[in-house]
Amino acid sequence: MQEWTGAETGKVWAAGSRGLSVALQWPLPFETQRRVFRKILIANRGEIALRIARACREMGISPVVVYSDADRAALHVLEADEAYRLGPAPAAESYLRGDLLLEIARKSGAEAIHPGYGFLSENADFAEACERAGVKFIGPPAAAMRALGSKTRARQAADRAGMPRTPGSTQGLASLDEAHKVAAEIGYPVMLKAAAGGGGKGMRAVARDEDLKSAFEAAQSEAERAFGSSEVYLEKLIERPRHIEIQVLADEHGHCVYLGERECSVQRRHQKVIEEAPSAVVEPDLRRRMGEAAVRLAQSAGYTNAGTIEFLVDDARNFYFLEMNTRLQVEHPVTELVTGLDLVHLQIQIAQGEPLPLRQEDVQLRGHAMECRVYAEDPDNGFFPSPGKITRLAQPGGPGIREDAGIYEGWVVPMDYDPMLSKLVAYAPTREAAIARLLRALDEYVIGGIRTNLGLFRRILRDADFQAARIDTGYLERLLAEPLPAADGREERERVAAIAAAVFESGRAAAAPAASAETTRAWKRAARAEGLRS
Amino acid sequence: MKLAIEIAERARVVEYAPGATEVLVDGVSIPIEARELRPGVLSLIVAGRAWRVVLEEDATEPAVLIGGERLAYRVDDPRSLKARRAHSGGSDGPKSIKASMPGRVVRVLAAKGESVAAHQGIVVIEAMKMQNELKSPKDGVVAEMRVKPGDTVAAGDVLAVVE
Repeated sequence: MQEWTGAETGKVWAAGSRGLSVALQWPLPFETQRRVFRKILIANRGEIALRIARACREMGISPVVVYSDADRAALHVLEADEAYRLGPAPAAESYLRGDLLLEIARKSGAEAIHPGYGFLSENADFAEACERAGVKFIGPPAAAMRALGSKTRARQAADRAGMPRTPGSTQGLASLDEAHKVAAEIGYPVMLKAAAGGGGKGMRAVARDEDLKSAFEAAQSEAERAFGSSEVYLEKLIERPRHIEIQVLADEHGHCVYLGERECSVQRRHQKVIEEAPSAVVEPDLRRRMGEAAVRLAQSAGYTNAGTIEFLVDDARNFYFLEMNTRLQVEHPVTELVTGLDLVHLQIQIAQGEPLPLRQEDVQLRGHAMECRVYAEDPDNGFFPSPGKITRLAQPGGPGIREDAGIYEGWVVPMDYDPMLSKLVAYAPTREAAIARLLRALDEYVIGGIRTNLGLFRRILRDADFQAARIDTGYLERLLAEPLPAADGREERERVAAIAAAVFESGRAAAAPAASAETTRAWKRAARAEGLRS
Repeated sequence: MKLAIEIAERARVVEYAPGATEVLVDGVSIPIEARELRPGVLSLIVAGRAWRVVLEEDATEPAVLIGGERLAYRVDDPRSLKARRAHSGGSDGPKSIKASMPGRVVRVLAAKGESVAAHQGIVVIEAMKMQNELKSPKDGVVAEMRVKPGDTVAAGDVLAVVE
C-alpha cells in the first residue's frame, strides 16, 4: 500500500484501481489529496458497522468501532480490531456524540470516519467538524450535504439541474394562506411534507381544501417535534406511485456514474420492507434518463462519494424527483449484486482521493437481486418491536444468498435502537428465480426467542400481485388489510407441531427428577397462559 | 405419557414415550423418529417426512417454530386435576396487565385507586422508538400500579392490576 502522499500530482494511481481501464485526468486538481487509510473509525452499530468492518479488512485497513453500553456484546465489537466505549445507551449520549467520535479518531489514529447510515451520516455539521479535525469523512462534502439534505433546497437544486419533480412549492410555506394558494394552483390531492423530514414524519396527504388547515398545523407541529424545524412544503400527490431510486457514485475528480436503479415500493408506513434491482418496469431508456438526471443533480451540487436519488414513478412511467440521500443506503447490497461492484470499497477508494475505476459504459446490470429487511417486530401484534434474547438462530446459506446481519445466538437485541436484525438478499438470473431463492432461504431461517417479520416476507413473496410486480407504495398496506390466506399444509404442520410438543414435554418429564415435575410445569404454564389472557 | 396439546384452539391427545418409534395422535398410530439435536432443537421424521422443529419458551407461552410458522401451544396432562382447574380459570376477580414485549415505561395513564373503563389506556411502554399503549381489560379500579415512567420491563411482567 502507498503511504500518505499529500497533494502530490502526476503519478499514475495504481493502488486502488480494480482492473478496469480508466481515463485519468492529470494533473489532479490542487485541492485533491491522495491518501491511504490504515485505520477507519466506524461511527455506527449493528449490521452496517460489521459490513463496513468487513470491507476494511478486505482492503487491508484496520477497523475501529465504537459502542454504547447497550452494545458492549454486539457483533460489531467482536469483529473489530479496536473498540471504544461512547457512553450510555441513548443515541444522543452515544452514537450521536460527534465530539467523542472525533476524540476516539484522534486517540486511535484513524484517518477517516465511515458514518454508515442513520445517526450522523447526513449531519453536515459533523462532516464539517471532521474536516476541521483533519479526519476524512467518508461521504460528500458538508456543502453538498447542505444543498441536498433539506427537501426544499433539494427541490431548488433539482430545478437548476433540469430534473423533473412533483409540482408544488420549492420553499417552506410561510402561512396557511400560501398553502391554500399553492394547493389551488397544482390541484388536489396534495401532500404536505417536512423540509427536514424523513421516515414519513411530518407528512400529510390532503384530498380537499377544507382539510388543509388541520393537516397543515399537524404537519408543522409533528415536523417541529421530530426534526426541530417546522418548515413544511406542499407538492402534488402522485397516485399509486412506485418508489424507484438511482444509485450514484462520484469521485473527487469530477467523474460521476449511476449504477442503475432499485425499486423500493414495498413499504409500510413509509419504511422500506423489500427492495430489488432492477425494477420490473424500468426499461433501458427510462433507466438512462433517470440515471443521467441523477448524475446532473449530483454534479450540480458538487457531490462526491455514494449517494441515492429517490424518485416516484407514475403509471405512465413519468418520474419525479423525491429527495436525495447523501449516504450509503440500507439496501445497497442489491445494487452490489447486480453490478458486481462493492460500494463500500468504492466509497473508501473515493475518500482516499482515487479516481473512479469505471466509466458509465463499464456499468453492466446482470441478473436480479431482492432484499428483505428482517426486523425484530411482531406482525401479529401491530408490528410492535420485539427486543430480547435470541435463543435460537439458524441462518440461511447456499447458492445466491447473502445475509448482512449483526446478530448471533444468545445475543440480547437491545430495545434502544432500530429493530433491524439483518438483511436477507437473494441473487438469481431472473426476478422469478430470485423470489424462489428468497422463499427457500426464508424456510432455512430460524430466529427464536423474539418475534420477527420473517412470516410477512413469505406472505408477500407468495402473493400474486407481488410476483407479477404489480406494486406501488400503497401495495403492502392493502395486502395487510386483506384476510390472511389459508396456508397450504397448515393442518399437517399443526399435527406435527403437536407431536413435537409432546416429544419436548415427555423428554423433559423423563429428565425431571421429581415424578410430578411435568404436572407442575404444565400447571405453571396453564396458569401463565391464563394470566396473560385475563 | 399422555398429553392434551392444544394448538390454534384445537386439542389433540398425543401419547408418546421417549425413544418410541410411534406416536398416538387421538388414538391413531403414526410412525416417528425423533432426535433432539440439542436442547430445544428437534429433528423429527413423521411417516417419512422430515421436519426441523425449534422449541421456544418465553414468559407468556410455549411455542414451536415449524415450517416458517410459529405455533403456540398449551399442554395439559389429562390426569392432572390441577391443570384442569387452572385451565378453566375464573373470569371475574382482579386482572393483571402484563407487558407483551420488553420495553421502557414512558407514561402511566392511571394512578392507583383510579376508576377505569374497559379498553382505557393504563400504561404506555416504548421499545425501539415505538410506543404501545396497554389497556384495561375491564371496568374497575386500579388496585396496583407496579411501574413508573423510566422503568424497564420484561415480557410477561405485571405492570398493574385492575379490580
